[in-house]
Amino acid sequence: MALDALEGLTVLDLTSHIAGPYSTKLLADLGARVIKVEKPGGDSARALSPFLGDEAGIERSGGYQFLNTNKESIVLDLAQDSGREAAYRLAGRCQLVVVGLSPRQSERLGVSYRQLKEHTSASVVEISNFGSGGPYRDYQLSDTVLFAMGGEMYSHGTLDRAPLKLGGTAALLQCGAMGAVAAMGAVHAQEVHGVSQRVELSLFDAQINSIDRRSAAILAFRFSGRVQQRPAGGSAGVAGGIYPTADGYVEVTASTGNYWARFVEMIDDDGLRDPKWLQPAMALNPAAKEEADGIIYPWMLSRTKHEVWTEARRAHAMVAPLFTGSEVFRDAVFRERGLWIEVEHELLGRFPMLGRPYVLEKTPWRLRRPAPMLGQHTDSVLAEAGYSTAEIAQLRNDGVAA
Amino acid sequence: MSANLPLAGVRICDFTAVWAGQSATMYLADMGAECIKVENPFIWNPMTRAASPRINSAMSAMLPPWIAGHPNSDPGPRPWNNSPAFIQVLRNKKSFTVDSRRAEGLAIVKALIRISDVVAENLAYGTLDKLGLNDEEILRERPDAIILHMPAFGRSGAYVEGRGYGAHIDSVSGSTLLRGYVDTAPADNVQIFAGDFWGGAHGAFAVMAALRHRRRTGQGQVIELAQVESTAQMFPQATLDAAWNGRDAVSVGNRSIEGFVPNGVFRCKGEDRWIAISCRDDGEWAALVEAMSQPAWAGRANLGSANGRAEAEGEIEERLAEWAAEHESYDLFHRLQAAGVTAGPVMTAQDAAEDPHLRQGDAWARLPATEDYPETDFGAPPYKFESSDVRIRTTPALFGEHNDYVYRELLGVSDEEFERLRAAGHIATTFDADLVARA
Repeated sequence: MALDALEGLTVLDLTSHIAGPYSTKLLADLGARVIKVEKPGGDSARALSPFLGDEAGIERSGGYQFLNTNKESIVLDLAQDSGREAAYRLAGRCQLVVVGLSPRQSERLGVSYRQLKEHTSASVVEISNFGSGGPYRDYQLSDTVLFAMGGEMYSHGTLDRAPLKLGGTAALLQCGAMGAVAAMGAVHAQEVHGVSQRVELSLFDAQINSIDRRSAAILAFRFSGRVQQRPAGGSAGVAGGIYPTADGYVEVTASTGNYWARFVEMIDDDGLRDPKWLQPAMALNPAAKEEADGIIYPWMLSRTKHEVWTEARRAHAMVAPLFTGSEVFRDAVFRERGLWIEVEHELLGRFPMLGRPYVLEKTPWRLRRPAPMLGQHTDSVLAEAGYSTAEIAQLRNDGVAA
Repeated sequence: MSANLPLAGVRICDFTAVWAGQSATMYLADMGAECIKVENPFIWNPMTRAASPRINSAMSAMLPPWIAGHPNSDPGPRPWNNSPAFIQVLRNKKSFTVDSRRAEGLAIVKALIRISDVVAENLAYGTLDKLGLNDEEILRERPDAIILHMPAFGRSGAYVEGRGYGAHIDSVSGSTLLRGYVDTAPADNVQIFAGDFWGGAHGAFAVMAALRHRRRTGQGQVIELAQVESTAQMFPQATLDAAWNGRDAVSVGNRSIEGFVPNGVFRCKGEDRWIAISCRDDGEWAALVEAMSQPAWAGRANLGSANGRAEAEGEIEERLAEWAAEHESYDLFHRLQAAGVTAGPVMTAQDAAEDPHLRQGDAWARLPATEDYPETDFGAPPYKFESSDVRIRTTPALFGEHNDYVYRELLGVSDEEFERLRAAGHIATTFDADLVARA
């Protein structure tokens, strides 16, 4: 029988919305037991569209369903003493606590590292906007502001227009992935060395370190004094950038050496085989670009993007189609390989969901349970922590648990 | 000092290239794994150590700074040791050279695999197989190895022969169509590499999970991370809207998909200065109106709710743009944040390098000069461990810097054999001159 890679690891999850929950999703999806503490009323991500069947509702959010697979949900009001006490009891039973609050909030709710460590020997990963010190400590972030300050927004877009964010909430999710890396580091340190500790990750730092040009652009500035500007347009050199096809678009890299040779092989037109195209100066010559476009555009426009990609794969050219969401969903190859799964949900019935981001041969990614309904596990988790039925009823009565 | 390093005792035989793979192994190296980069003086891996092995000042000036902003804009004789794009992913790693296409070179690589815990690669599909290092051959040397493959489009199915960098992975995963201006065709979108950041983090995470499993069971395993499938998860709202509601999300420019109105990027005073503003709830909107000194247009009752603001979003953005244009971006940043509005300047690389918050924290680590670059502040790992020594412990690995260590100390190669391998070109600190001339 296949085991889960993170079997036996229990995590108390004090994160909400997008970044922190993605960190704990990665843990839960490989087998960790993640106990998600939601505030009364629930995680704000429950209000995020899209909703299943376009019908709003706290159990129907796509974002929430995706971000919280394999977790358990308990509702606790940490602003009340007895709620905080329950959180401490749970923390004492976990190996890892992930906190996604601002320093001020976590202090106020009693779940800062300093306060938690009196109740647990777990490692504590703190994911915050700007870290626990410094002039921006108490400032707020959104996905857009995070990418503006931390990421390489400044050079994304075109020169005469505003810098552009990424699609969706990509910047927050990227930080969530880095949070999971930090959390696994904490788990190894604890299991190998017996050391439990505080690990801090600020969203700002995570983006400043983004491998998507940001960390390189900063080092480049230090080295050369040059700052990456937004380009005037998407194309580069004689050929490259995004081209229209009969039914959509493809992305092309064909600038130099091998890439140009394979691109030429793909297009298979004698006009591009002329050695003149290999002269570096051609890249800067607008007339040359126009001449190349005269060959490339008709070729592209007479094919679908899938036909272009088939030709590209044959020639090993660096060319690939721009997919829409429904193309990602319907793509036969992704389906055959298992990117999508079907979720069976107690309330919502069956619906499709993105499945594994990677294939682990011996400890496969698997859906053990769909994202929890609000407070679905409040009773069972509290009972396990030693609360009697009467005590749980009392907590519910007092509005501390739900 | 290696106190409590999470991955102490783990060794990685690292064949990764470009960014996704090299950043995955960098995060593992940060955590204490001994990461040994396998390099070949006779093969130039594109986008792995520099734009070109013979890039010069003139060429570098024509290329974007992130890849070609070499020290003082002069790549010097060893550009592979000072491209900002690539030495930044070589911190905490070691580099050794070997021509693994020759039998004695392959034997060296196999000897390294025998003493490694992880073998990592994201080369074009089939490259390792051609070298004689398919999974079976790796596992013959090291039965409990963890093998990380990071192909662009998978190791099975119709797309195996697809080739791509981050930009192409962005395209197929659905990212590119979601990140343009609302009023221009996708053909105007510029190339970015969000999938590299994503793939690197997920690769490191998956390996650490597999290492835990191996510690508990003694069992290694093969990990296949198809970068496009992983990156598709960066846009769950868009793909689920398609899957659940049959709707294809389109680019919203700088607007929010979380229901924040207004949410945008506005030009400020000065040259190409901008501020991002998000009103995440009605309270933030009220605070923004207050900060703008309550202009009449903003006082309309219907703007008090997000739904009301959504109906007037275009108009709000125009008015905000007029207002922001009268102010400095950093003044607005501090004023708005103090007032409770989520806002921040669009930071250039220079802004980030000089940012007081980052300077006060431990975002940077000053590394000593080498022959190939001056003393410089490099980015430090973003995760701050209280007890484990997770930081930049060793400077970015120069090409072939650790040949002595790997051949002599790790593999126990004799002096005589070392000299023979050096004479045969396996052991080098520069790329082969013919290769450089042809590149």
